[in-house]
Amino acid sequence: MSRLASGGLIDRARPLRFSFDGTGYSGFEGDTLASALVANGVRIVGRSFKYHRPRGILTAGSEEPNALVTLGTGAHAEPNTRATTVSLHDGLVACSQNRWPSLHLDLLAVNQLLSPFFAAGFYYKTFMWPGKFWEKLYEPLIRRAAGLGSLSGLPDPDSYDREHGFCDLLVIGAGPAGLAAALTAGRAGVRVILADEDTRPGGRLMSERLLVDGLPAADWAASAAQELETMANVRVLSRTAVFGVYDGREYGAVERLTDHLSHAPAGAPRQRLWKIVAKRAILATGAIERPVVFGGNDRPGVTMASAVSTYINRFAALPGRRAVIFTSSDSGWTTAVDLQAAGAEVVAIVDPRDTPPSFAQVLRRNGTELLPGARVRHVAGSPVRKVEIVRADGSVLKLKADLVAMSGGWNPAIGLGSNLGHRPVWSDRLHCFLLDEAPPGLKPAGAAAGCFALADALADGVRQARDAAGDLGVACPTGAAFKTSEESARCDPLWHVPAARSKAFVDFQNDVTDADVSLAVREGFVSVEHLKRYTTLGMATDQGKTGQLNGHALLAAATGKSIAEAGTVLSRPPYQPVAIGVLAGHHRGEHFRPERRTASHNWAAGHGASFVNVGQWKRAQWYTRAGERDWLETVNREVTMTRGGVGICDVSTLGKIDVQGPDASTLLDRLYINTFSTLAVGKARYGVMLREDGFVMDDGTVTRFAEDSFYVTTTTANAGLVMQHIDFARQVIWPELDVQATSVTEQWTTYSIAGPKSRSLLQTAFPELDLSSEAMPFMGAAKFAWRGIGARIFRVSFSGELAYEVSVPALHGERLLLDLLEAGRDFGVVAYGTEALGVMRIEKGHAAGNELNGQTTAADLGLGRMMSKKKDFIGRVMARRPGLTDPARPALVGLKPVEPGVRLRAGAHLLECGKPAVAANDQGHVTSAAWSPTLDHSIALALLSHGPDRLGERVVVHDPVRGGDVEAEVCSPVFVDPEGVRMRG
Amino acid sequence: MAEHLIHSEQEGWALATVMARRAVGPAAVGAALELELRDEPVAVSNGAIRAIGTGPGAWLVIDTEPDHGFADALQDRLEGLASVSDQSSGYAVFRLSGAGARTALQRGAAIDFHPDVFAPGSVATTAIAHIGAIVWQVDDSPTYDVAVFRSLSGSFRHWLEETAAAL
Repeated sequence: MSRLASGGLIDRARPLRFSFDGTGYSGFEGDTLASALVANGVRIVGRSFKYHRPRGILTAGSEEPNALVTLGTGAHAEPNTRATTVSLHDGLVACSQNRWPSLHLDLLAVNQLLSPFFAAGFYYKTFMWPGKFWEKLYEPLIRRAAGLGSLSGLPDPDSYDREHGFCDLLVIGAGPAGLAAALTAGRAGVRVILADEDTRPGGRLMSERLLVDGLPAADWAASAAQELETMANVRVLSRTAVFGVYDGREYGAVERLTDHLSHAPAGAPRQRLWKIVAKRAILATGAIERPVVFGGNDRPGVTMASAVSTYINRFAALPGRRAVIFTSSDSGWTTAVDLQAAGAEVVAIVDPRDTPPSFAQVLRRNGTELLPGARVRHVAGSPVRKVEIVRADGSVLKLKADLVAMSGGWNPAIGLGSNLGHRPVWSDRLHCFLLDEAPPGLKPAGAAAGCFALADALADGVRQARDAAGDLGVACPTGAAFKTSEESARCDPLWHVPAARSKAFVDFQNDVTDADVSLAVREGFVSVEHLKRYTTLGMATDQGKTGQLNGHALLAAATGKSIAEAGTVLSRPPYQPVAIGVLAGHHRGEHFRPERRTASHNWAAGHGASFVNVGQWKRAQWYTRAGERDWLETVNREVTMTRGGVGICDVSTLGKIDVQGPDASTLLDRLYINTFSTLAVGKARYGVMLREDGFVMDDGTVTRFAEDSFYVTTTTANAGLVMQHIDFARQVIWPELDVQATSVTEQWTTYSIAGPKSRSLLQTAFPELDLSSEAMPFMGAAKFAWRGIGARIFRVSFSGELAYEVSVPALHGERLLLDLLEAGRDFGVVAYGTEALGVMRIEKGHAAGNELNGQTTAADLGLGRMMSKKKDFIGRVMARRPGLTDPARPALVGLKPVEPGVRLRAGAHLLECGKPAVAANDQGHVTSAAWSPTLDHSIALALLSHGPDRLGERVVVHDPVRGGDVEAEVCSPVFVDPEGVRMRG
Repeated sequence: MAEHLIHSEQEGWALATVMARRAVGPAAVGAALELELRDEPVAVSNGAIRAIGTGPGAWLVIDTEPDHGFADALQDRLEGLASVSDQSSGYAVFRLSGAGARTALQRGAAIDFHPDVFAPGSVATTAIAHIGAIVWQVDDSPTYDVAVFRSLSGSFRHWLEETAAAL
């Protein structure tokens, strides 16, 4: 055990059991999985991505590249979880990844021997050709050999939630600067959200032995957090990682709600997605310590110095007993003090700089060898056993050690600040990239702004909060400055120790070495962006948070540039890995998107309906009866019973718009190609509207119920679009017109009652209604009362039969259906679905969605003569373009197979008989096809070049996808009752 | 601990879209309805009917205890002043109340429901769980009404129940 007897922010009264790779361990409340593994002396926790090298825990934070584990089992298994961010809970099960058969014996470590072949660009060079091998052979091979953890492949059993936060000031990070900012703004009454990814506020204050206002820093952080909790205007979101900055001062964040619990309460979401809109934001995300690039720097036991301090001070877990410190920053020396205080031996401090910090002598007195001007050249052992050091004079010193704590200085954690494209700039003074410009409203503070010393960070947090509050018109009272212990933050980075014998890693997660960077440069990949793509530096779950800058520094050195000239890459959201499930939230499975149901839905579901999605609507496609073998049999019956008797179809999904006002008819004349100002009250008329570009937009009927009141219907698919179009026309194009429009799609349930017996049925259902052709002629409409409710009847036909549409308020829609079915019982009434509807409209040659495809003109659809020459309308001018009036344009025709039993299929292309099947000979295509039970053969609608002039001609229907060429005869698109006798009957 | 949320669907209400004619201001429409109408996203009531401001010159007028033929009567009163469309079947109205109501809405709509921003009488036309919604605050207990297109009420109820369970 490496657990210290006392200290740390752990609750020794609450032991927790957990397992790692099947072995049972114990930790305490307050531990992370990583700290518990450290406390249990577990040194190797994973294998690397490419070479399968054993790896240990590198950091103590969310930047961890190595310690990726799979948490949980079965459907709950979550791969690639950073052990450093996992709160330990009782019964936690974790497994290492990317090793086979076991962590300690990984056969794929043989990849290391092949490393000359696995260098940067390996995949690009090796698997170039033959191309067809890529999908079948290379990619599966690579994925098996190199990779992260595996998904369970099972549906995610957890639920996810979302919330929208609004505040004056969002503080991202609850370290010293964040706490100081939140306190300052909160005390002034500013509405604050403080989001912090850790389980408790404090950041580095919990990791280091410093004093703030006379209190141990961790205690001060706890009391600050307590004060914030009492403020009604402050909301503290712990375990909440802000992962992205978006336009409009929006921030994305994920709150982990139950991941840290052994047993989540029923119904509790696992995580919550936050969209936070903040007038101002302070980026107080601190800084991330840089590793140093030297031979064997990836050995388990080579750890970030700050992480060593965190494990000792926060978790009372000792990562090693005999340590060598390799640091070019004063903070590394503090770690040496922490190690000594915890009872570990610090063998040597290796610092390439010449002047040690002021407190160095204390360490020397305790037996530590100080090696200024020296470097660690090579580390051996797995975990660490030996450290090879080159002294300032060039002599080599070999030391035994089980821990190397390294620090190459600090990078402000400013990734979020470049999400909107603001490129960080290099500071020669601080040796790091800083945000010069940031997204609107966002300012970095504290270590994220380069204020590394504690006193500076606290003061900067206060300053930024006061500025932000001041921008919002709130004055913050001047408080006393926070008093802190002295701290030195000097740093003079060392980018590279050339290694001879062993690999020196730049990016631990992607196994990118110093040699890979050199190779990339030699091969011409000399920009930071190219370097990233070629070597994979900075990719995958950690996005290069620890190692990326070292790579850029090496690139700069190799190309003879300064780091400022070489620059750095931008970060894009998500800054931290985010589970897809939390982005989906409730919207999964059948709830993937909202569903619209008509009033007859439940009746239909109970009567054999299969539903088809039409946009968000669920429409009954057909109603299967017992004994029917397939859908075609069902649809044929529905068509035959309708044409032979009477059928009812729910057409409520069609768009319905009330257009009212003194200028309503003027607007409709300008929207449609045909005229509506002449339409009599109590009459309906079919209309077609064009887009501005002259192509057909939509069709439908318009009914006039009063001089100033029209009822417009649209296709189901275009209901929303036409509503927008009308609003645009009346609000933007012609605001001078006095016309109002509103969607009433949802108000009315509409049934089509079609077939020769439709009149008899309706007369039975509505005995007081005069349905004679004199009172209710074709295209007539009327309002009437049914059960005391206002109803409407329209004599319109899509099926070509004698047909009516009846509308009632949707609340009574199911009742009406039951009434109609009851009235129709003696007439053999049948409910028919959208498929039978489609068959009948194809039989009648009516254009629908397949023909209104955005590429057809009114003339293409045989509706050219509807275009009024007496008035202007939207699309009129553009419809006269030569390309739109070319007689060779494919236009609507019917097709019937020469051999009656043969099936025509939509999507097939049309060729002249005997012409080769090449694109140049393409004459059009089949838009809609169906089996006509009325004619007992396949029929189709098609768009054919010069089509209407070619009736009687034979064409080849070419269907290379589904196979086979079929010969068909071009005919009128109206297959059934071309004179329209039935519907006028 | 779970915050309390009571939710129910309103029944028997009559609703109508009222859109002012071009040159007619809210005061004139309001005078005909005995309501102090403003061109703002606010709900006003005269005890008998209430009007929910949904856009410039547009209101959703509601009668919670309607007489037969509510929309026709409204149209008569607004002759020459506004266009009226019955929407009594068009919208389903859900009532959310209790300590958890504000949080539940905050988890649905991307607008700010803080009492300083959204108070009794406030109205928003927004989206909840990808469903278009008109939300207004009834009182500061707090109670909110949410109107959604009726065909979407099943999906809305699903969101509401899932959100209530997670409070």
